[in-house]
Amino acid sequence: MARKNEHYEESLLGRLDRWTQSGESGLDQRMMDDLASPPPPAASLPQKELERRMDRDDRMKHHMLLQEQATYDRIRTWGSVRGSRFFRRAYIVLAVLFCLALIAVLLRATATLPPFGNPDNPMHNDVARRYIEDGMEETGAVNLVAGMILDYRAFDTLGESNVLFTAVCAVLILLRISKEHSDATAMLELEADDRMYEPQDDLILQTMVRLLVPLILLFGIYVILNGHISPGGGFSGGAVMGAGLILYLNAFGFEKAERFFTFRTFQTVSVISLSFYALSKSYSFFTGANHLPSIIQTGIPGKIFSAGLIPYLNIAVGLVVCCTMYALYTLFRKGDL
Amino acid sequence: MSDIIRFLLSALFTLAGLFVTITSVLGVFRFRYALNRIHAAALLDTLGILFMLLGIIIALGFQVASLKAVILVVFLWMTSPVASHLIGRLQLTTDEHLSEHMEIESGDMLEEIKKEG
Repeated sequence: MARKNEHYEESLLGRLDRWTQSGESGLDQRMMDDLASPPPPAASLPQKELERRMDRDDRMKHHMLLQEQATYDRIRTWGSVRGSRFFRRAYIVLAVLFCLALIAVLLRATATLPPFGNPDNPMHNDVARRYIEDGMEETGAVNLVAGMILDYRAFDTLGESNVLFTAVCAVLILLRISKEHSDATAMLELEADDRMYEPQDDLILQTMVRLLVPLILLFGIYVILNGHISPGGGFSGGAVMGAGLILYLNAFGFEKAERFFTFRTFQTVSVISLSFYALSKSYSFFTGANHLPSIIQTGIPGKIFSAGLIPYLNIAVGLVVCCTMYALYTLFRKGDL
Repeated sequence: MSDIIRFLLSALFTLAGLFVTITSVLGVFRFRYALNRIHAAALLDTLGILFMLLGIIIALGFQVASLKAVILVVFLWMTSPVASHLIGRLQLTTDEHLSEHMEIESGDMLEEIKKEG
């Protein structure tokens, strides 16, 4: 083990690690050690000559050491003295240059766009006609938009759901306050900060919320389940349900909300929904975004149990969106779910 | 004939709703304090919406869509007063200079709310 450790410290990776942690590589240290250690005595010379020479060598070495030290110091402090000024100026110049380049690229791209409404434009191709004419027959969804986003282009929607999930993960990394690493008083302070001015246990709000939240959740479920029949679908229905949960949280506080929605719930529901979606639709990545015939029958368009996989994918997307909305709200407010 | 009457009724209600809306927006921008502004904004949420949707319901006649408009009115009348109430209560608990620009009848109620909140 010790030998392994020594080996690691000598290797390039180890030196890089030390450099990033302490700000200097082992190279300096070793150089210093070499300079500080006495040279091997030359035995054959007479004593006096030897002493004189050693004295001279010592003085030279000391001088060199001082010089090196000065160089090191200059290099080390360069970043904080002159370097920062240089970097600030360079940053401004580069930012302006980057913006100008971006403006030029965007203007150039806009100038070469085909005129709006021209029938020869590349967007007027067979795809749109195919979707409109055969979409209902092929996907079984009356709502053509649902047929497009969850059947023809389902792998795009997978990316969208993952974007939401990634956003909430980033917020989680940045804002989550871990309960294990902060003491009790800090937690109490946070709790007090959170609801210092907010009306607690407002009777009017609670009465209304008791009446409204079930209706809002029902409406969200209705929008999700009818996603393939009428306008709506996973994203909008999930947002409605998330808003209902947030309303409940605001009326009754975290204690009651945590009875049915904790961090574990969020983890389980999001991961299961996303995995289901990925498992059922990610084959499109390998088939070049081509549509494979589904094993599930499309059924009669207009019925709830029709359109193949679309209702189930809608449910998965809706659950992810609902959990994400709620998690974003609680993370920004309290730093925890 | 009945069509003309229906159109006129619907136009009347819509115009009334428009008048209330304009009054409310003016009030929100002209009044100086949050509590006054709530009063103006609540006007739009209740009376303005009611007149507008009544105009729409009359124009549509007996339909599922007009039933939905009725449900919309009920929903908004249930929720927007609650929202106004919460904003007002928050203003009462957070504004330290409240008594400078308004008369507070009795201190007990305020103290009670402040202690709670």
